[in-house]
Amino acid sequence: MSTEAIPAEKPKRNYNALFGLTLLALLVLLWVILSLSTSSFASANNISNLLRQGSMIAILAVGQTFVIITGGIDLSVGAVVGFATVIAAMLINAGIPVFLAILITLAVGVAIGLFHGFGIVKMGLPPFIITLATLTSLRGIGLLMTNGNSISINNDAFQEFSRNSFLGVPNLFWMVILVGIPAYIFLHHSRWGRYLFSVGSNAEASRLSGVNVQRTIYMAYTLSGLCAAFVGVLLASRIGIGNPTQAEGWELQAIASSVIGGTSLFGAVGSVHGPLLGAFILATINNGANLLNVNAFWQRIITGVLIIVIVYFDGLRRRGGK
Amino acid sequence: MTSTAQDLHPAPVLEPGRTILELRGLEKKYPGTHALKPVTLAFKSGEIHAIVGENGAGKSTLIKLLTGVMPRTSGDVIWEGNPAALATPHEAMALGINAVHQEVVLCRHLTVAANMFLGEENSRFGILQQRAMVKEAQKIIDDLGFDLPAHVMLGDLTIGQQQLIAAARATVRGTKFLIFDEPTAYLTRKEADQLFTLIRRLKSEGVTIIYISHRMEEVFELADRVSVLRDGTLVGTRNIAETNDAELVKLMINRSIEQVYHKEHFTPGAAIVETRNLSGKGFENVSMTVRAGEIVGLYGLIGAGRSEFVTTLYGRHRKSAGQILWEGKPVQVNSEHDAIKLGMALAPESRRDQGLCLNLPVGLNLNLPIYKRISKNLLISGAQEKTQADRQIADLRIKTPTRNALASSLSGGNQQKIVIGKWLAHGAKLFIFDEPTVGVDVGTKAEIYRLFGALLSKGAGIILISSYLPEVYELADTLHVFRRGKLVATHGFRTADHEEILTQALAEKQEKLGGTI
Repeated sequence: MSTEAIPAEKPKRNYNALFGLTLLALLVLLWVILSLSTSSFASANNISNLLRQGSMIAILAVGQTFVIITGGIDLSVGAVVGFATVIAAMLINAGIPVFLAILITLAVGVAIGLFHGFGIVKMGLPPFIITLATLTSLRGIGLLMTNGNSISINNDAFQEFSRNSFLGVPNLFWMVILVGIPAYIFLHHSRWGRYLFSVGSNAEASRLSGVNVQRTIYMAYTLSGLCAAFVGVLLASRIGIGNPTQAEGWELQAIASSVIGGTSLFGAVGSVHGPLLGAFILATINNGANLLNVNAFWQRIITGVLIIVIVYFDGLRRRGGK
Repeated sequence: MTSTAQDLHPAPVLEPGRTILELRGLEKKYPGTHALKPVTLAFKSGEIHAIVGENGAGKSTLIKLLTGVMPRTSGDVIWEGNPAALATPHEAMALGINAVHQEVVLCRHLTVAANMFLGEENSRFGILQQRAMVKEAQKIIDDLGFDLPAHVMLGDLTIGQQQLIAAARATVRGTKFLIFDEPTAYLTRKEADQLFTLIRRLKSEGVTIIYISHRMEEVFELADRVSVLRDGTLVGTRNIAETNDAELVKLMINRSIEQVYHKEHFTPGAAIVETRNLSGKGFENVSMTVRAGEIVGLYGLIGAGRSEFVTTLYGRHRKSAGQILWEGKPVQVNSEHDAIKLGMALAPESRRDQGLCLNLPVGLNLNLPIYKRISKNLLISGAQEKTQADRQIADLRIKTPTRNALASSLSGGNQQKIVIGKWLAHGAKLFIFDEPTVGVDVGTKAEIYRLFGALLSKGAGIILISSYLPEVYELADTLHVFRRGKLVATHGFRTADHEEILTQALAEKQEKLGGTI
């Protein structure tokens, strides 16, 4: 009896990497199919466009993933993007240097994230509720600030940034790399990253092991708010206006990207590369559907079906691998 | 009781004394533990059959098998003459087997009446007959002599009252075989009396009652027969008239103590921690000292306040009064963080809820307390993370394919080694082990006890909590007995006998009888 049999278990070390490769393969497959079936997909112009389209959701999805790993959810990110466009537009139009305007906008994002942390940790509100409340209020505050109008940004240099490329790659995509690399190091190679996972897996066990659970939760929502505000700045640059109703529904796209990328809504499972790939898979589907003249309404349905299929197979494999 | 009782519950036509349920070689093995060794036992209809035994003796395993919560490993169950698979809870309920658990498993946000009819709602054309159900539930409750309203939310009642409702609920569903698992743990004496009235009435209606309790006086008050489990073995069944509590206690604990209790004696050094009249939620007025090189054992029943005491000491909960002295100096421990900084380490009671991040790798679990040490400017040293984890896995002989396997894939004993291992790497002066060997096989137990010796030799002190008397008895240099939140007795190493300690932990009866069993 003392000699207990350990069920033979395959090492799971490469699970994340394997899943990432599968997603990458799916993305490449989509690109190959679209290149063959349309004449315009493989054009430099369209690829740049695709990268621009996917970039902003990709950055949102990274922030969202941090939150989901802790077992939470951030529904406010779309509203934060819209609100950030307003802040950035107002600051730039008021003559504040662009650099400073961006920093202040990012600080607003951080403040919103801290507020979420406060609501969850100190007021004991469920993440779903506190971020849902911010979602609706931020849109309202933005509308009050703008009287319901759009604010045109009077700064060409600011707007050119998002249209330009560097080394043939759109600047917006460089921003994904700018966010993605530190995010990767943070999540997979820093102790704070480990704490995100441990809190999402078992907050009580983490706490008893000396992990500061409250600070970890503050951090996750702050990073999500920061990512969203950053995307707000990029969006303001891209469309040249500040408008609080922008980025409607982006929170759902960010969550979808994250989940397609292998993040578990139950927490403690996730990566940085997964959501990035997820975001570009979604962007490719939208882009491809446009090129193939698929009805825009169908695109939404396809996205929904894809989420179900990918997450179902991911779940099957996780269970099967156990 | 009134005659309406008979109208409401037509007594099942069962001839009293007939065998209703028979166990033939019923057995349950978990990986690494033999929870229930083949049990052969027949229950008669209309009898109150008590089952006693220490924690871990196999009582809860037996209930789980009988209620279909877990499948048995081997053996047969004969229900009214026919073999029964008891594969699902539903099947057990359909036969008429029900259980009332120590923890109430009802819906706190529904009314008392809704809970009583849960799953068997009274409806007409799909519309719930709420008023009729409340009326009917009230009638049943009144009839049972419980002074409780049927229309209030269950959550508004005390735990004891909820327990009564749970019992009443079991009576309305054609139950022929009803298991009570320590039903009086949270009841006042008055509530317990009401419950006993209910139980006696069910008996008179021909229902078989299985009554599991730690309280000897209840067993003698209620039961017709009593069976004793020890270490997963049925060691005897007695008619209640032909036995006494001395015999039962002896049957419960008179085991051959295997040579697993590895004990090393050290001369105790300076005091590491001292509590003075410490009080908090679930315990009060506890004073004790832990010195370097000694094991302080805390024995008592589950819920006696031992875990609450150590988690408060560890800063997880606020103390309400008293003082903590660390190495002679008064300290404030306001958080786990403070405790860890002082030099405390806690291996908590529940691996699943408090000890492990089950769906994360073994290595991450082992390193969780020391990530600060193995990182530089936030960045983790990959090499150190690897070597630290591998060292603990090798030192503690944790059976895992790699450090990247998920903690959930390991057996209970190996999971427990992770819980302990993470603090070995961290190091501490005071190690608190709360039920470190629950669900752990004998071999691993022995390894854990050896580890205690190693820690003591390095000058650490240990608080060992156990509900398993031989464990604390054989290991503790100082043994404190807890009962209902109070430290009621203190013994030196092997200075008292098992019976004395057990009665001190068990309670009331002892006081009434003035010190003898």
